[in-house]
Amino acid sequence: MKTKSNTTGRRAVIIGGMRTPFLKGFGDFTQVSAIGLGVAAVRGLLAKFPMSDKDIDGMIWSGVVLPSGSVNVGREILLDLGLPPTIEATTITRACTSSLKAITMAAASIERGEADVIVAGGGDSVSNAEVKMPASLIHKVAPVFMNAKSKPMDYLKLAMKLDLRKDFIPQRPEVKERSTGELMGQSAEKMGARNMISRQAQDAFACQSHHRAAAAVSCGRFSEEVVPVDTSKGKRVFADGLIRGDTSVEKLAKLRPAFAKGGTLTAGNSSPLTDGAAACLIMSEDKARALGFEPLAAFRGWSFDAVDPADQMLQGPAISMPRAAARAGMVLTDFDFIDLHEAFAAQVLSVLKMLGSDSYARVHLDRDKAFGEIDPQRINVHGGSIAIGHPFAATGARMVTTMARELKLSGKATALLGICGAGGVSAGAVLEAV
Amino acid sequence: MNDFLVELGANPAARQAIKKIGLPLSLPQKLKRSQSPWDEHPIADLPVFVHHSKESQLAPYLGRFLGKLGADITIFGDRQKAAPYQDSGEAYGRPTRTELLEDSKPYGLIFDATGIEEPSALKSVYEFLQPWLRPLRNCGRVVLLSRPPESLSSPAAVAAARALDGLVRSLAREIGGKGATASRVVVDKGAEANLEAVVGFVMSERSAYVSAQTLHVTGKVAPLENVPYRKPLAEKVALVTGGARGIGAAIAKSLAREGAHVVLMDRLQEETAVGKLAHELGGTMLLLDLTDPEAPKRLCELFDRKFKGGLDIIIHNAGITRDKKLANMKPELWDQVLDVNLISLMRVNEALLPQLREEGRIVCVSSVAGISGNMGQTQYAATKAGLIGYVQALAPSLADRRITMNAVAPGFIETKMTAAMPVATREVGRRLSNLVQGGLPEDVAEAVMFLASPGATGMTGEVLRICGGSYLGA
Repeated sequence: MKTKSNTTGRRAVIIGGMRTPFLKGFGDFTQVSAIGLGVAAVRGLLAKFPMSDKDIDGMIWSGVVLPSGSVNVGREILLDLGLPPTIEATTITRACTSSLKAITMAAASIERGEADVIVAGGGDSVSNAEVKMPASLIHKVAPVFMNAKSKPMDYLKLAMKLDLRKDFIPQRPEVKERSTGELMGQSAEKMGARNMISRQAQDAFACQSHHRAAAAVSCGRFSEEVVPVDTSKGKRVFADGLIRGDTSVEKLAKLRPAFAKGGTLTAGNSSPLTDGAAACLIMSEDKARALGFEPLAAFRGWSFDAVDPADQMLQGPAISMPRAAARAGMVLTDFDFIDLHEAFAAQVLSVLKMLGSDSYARVHLDRDKAFGEIDPQRINVHGGSIAIGHPFAATGARMVTTMARELKLSGKATALLGICGAGGVSAGAVLEAV
Repeated sequence: MNDFLVELGANPAARQAIKKIGLPLSLPQKLKRSQSPWDEHPIADLPVFVHHSKESQLAPYLGRFLGKLGADITIFGDRQKAAPYQDSGEAYGRPTRTELLEDSKPYGLIFDATGIEEPSALKSVYEFLQPWLRPLRNCGRVVLLSRPPESLSSPAAVAAARALDGLVRSLAREIGGKGATASRVVVDKGAEANLEAVVGFVMSERSAYVSAQTLHVTGKVAPLENVPYRKPLAEKVALVTGGARGIGAAIAKSLAREGAHVVLMDRLQEETAVGKLAHELGGTMLLLDLTDPEAPKRLCELFDRKFKGGLDIIIHNAGITRDKKLANMKPELWDQVLDVNLISLMRVNEALLPQLREEGRIVCVSSVAGISGNMGQTQYAATKAGLIGYVQALAPSLADRRITMNAVAPGFIETKMTAAMPVATREVGRRLSNLVQGGLPEDVAEAVMFLASPGATGMTGEVLRICGGSYLGA
């Protein structure tokens, strides 16, 4: 295994983070684009950590449902905010691990000595996913329209060739795997069945997520991390819209399977399609001290991996988390907090099962002993994506922000993060208090 | 070549209509085939029922790999035997069931008959298979595992083991109508580590046209460690003779797909076809007549010069037919066929043997005609039978270099040659098999690819028929 080497001796630190409220897709944020959400999150971040524009070296943004007309979303956010046009910006995409990747890229860039201050994060608006006309229509129409020599007869011929049924029905955007054609929920359904995760266990876990998130909201734990957003309809959205503090295992048990007949996954124990964005401020430790900011945490290790999407697509954290821990020179008992992205309760519980299996460790991690048994009640102290919502590219930054602050607030030392993603990609990261 | 009945049979409405009207037509089931590149899970998510008796011996071996290959396993018989499956089940997220799921329709039925010592114990085979043959999925698989009868000591045990042969052959006929196949895998004591590739092949869609066969797994060639599942032939150099068209071209495509650099050899007249295919596959074109006395020398020079002095896979596919009844046959027709199909082939093979690298693979394309005989093919059948003898005799001497050598014997394969047959003969050829249809060149290619793969160490000196369980031939 390759280990991370920091040749410059510089350390990148997390100053803090800020996110928009997370709302259900096609809710109050329907009119706000992914760029608009990013603008709101970064504006909130810079308001909380004020500094001269000149100190910002760059921006690494991320997205999953990218607007095809302006793919470098990060650059658009900078320009919309009226920040100096000389600040560079990059936009990356890596499924649900996107913003964790953006943040670690920022840290790596700072530790390499390329920059001192980087804004990193991500966001998605599923409400603004583009509805595409079939490629067959474009391929028929474009050659005629783009050819200056086209005659009226060519247009007529084109009209004859068009097929009402095939060429005019727009493609519905779906969370579908390109290589396997499976919906994400179907992949998770298969995973749950193969790892024998019961409906009851899933509902219990989903319920725990909602209750914890609701408790965090009511005691104001998230208020320092969420910035209110004004919608074009003049409404000001203050808080997350998906958390159900009043849910119960009984209520969740009544929901019908969402992805398969007789399945165990429901809308209640899966993460919902969500609009939102989140941003983190990453600096070199020296610069942070010079600017008078108090760092919350730093990365001690990370690991980005991938598995076969045709086989247990969302199992990746069971590989990335132990690897990230090993790179940090740590074992399970060293961690104070474990934060695991909740795509589906079935996926979370499957991953925990794999992390506790010696056989799995032998085959997939090349080590004799399992990473360790983890009680589902031990993870995600303030709930996770099932309750809070999951704007794909915002989740990583949300987790980093919440965990970095949690280390500071609790006075504890370390946290382990894990995220799975479409295409079989995954990520693990170790945070330590500074 | 289109088979009208197969196309018709693929239409459920037509199928039902014909059944309703009562037409005496047995519609063949369109076979499920796979020509995608090899991956880790050839039988992903397919329900497989496995029966182990108390005395059976193979559970520790099957348990190690069946789940890894992707099967959704339910254990029958002695439930204690499920233990070896649990560990790999956990590792690959494929928990093994000992209780049946409701409405489960099996894709595969595997019976471990090792340990059956007398014919009365065969009742357990009946009891396991009987209830599941109706629910067996279209294009499903039945596999019976046993020890080779000749390796057993008591006459009763030999009788019981041999009984499975008749059972498999008859069962293959019974389930052939739904595209399903039945095979027997006999495994020598001590050769169990070689089982994975063989069982993986017969259970997968790549053995679509292999039925009513016995595959003999030996330990003569030791298994390799860490055999890759993807691109198993990466960095290998393969020679395919007669690679321009038909079965040879299909074989070349399969080998290239799995990563091999293919040297396509054919006669000068085939220049265009060979050149096109070599370009498509990124291979090397070699225009050379097999019967040319200089051929062995030129081949050796080529591998010396271009491929660091060696090659890994030889596919002897080139062959010709010159059909005539023996009574009417001119001597030159006899000589021609003998020369191409056997004499030159052996000459080239002997010359290349020193250059064949360790862990090499040789596959000879024989024919069912060489096993059963065919009207008007005396000299052709003689060469194809002779080839089988050659394989059986030469294979043992290569085992210490971990080289395997096998023959495949295609039955009725839809090629240009069979398309040119008279309609009646062609229809008879097609329908006289358990699967009631002809095979495709790709079916032969997938079987050759399996025998050429690094994992196929268990098979050497064997003949594998790709005939859909043809009524002709042993």
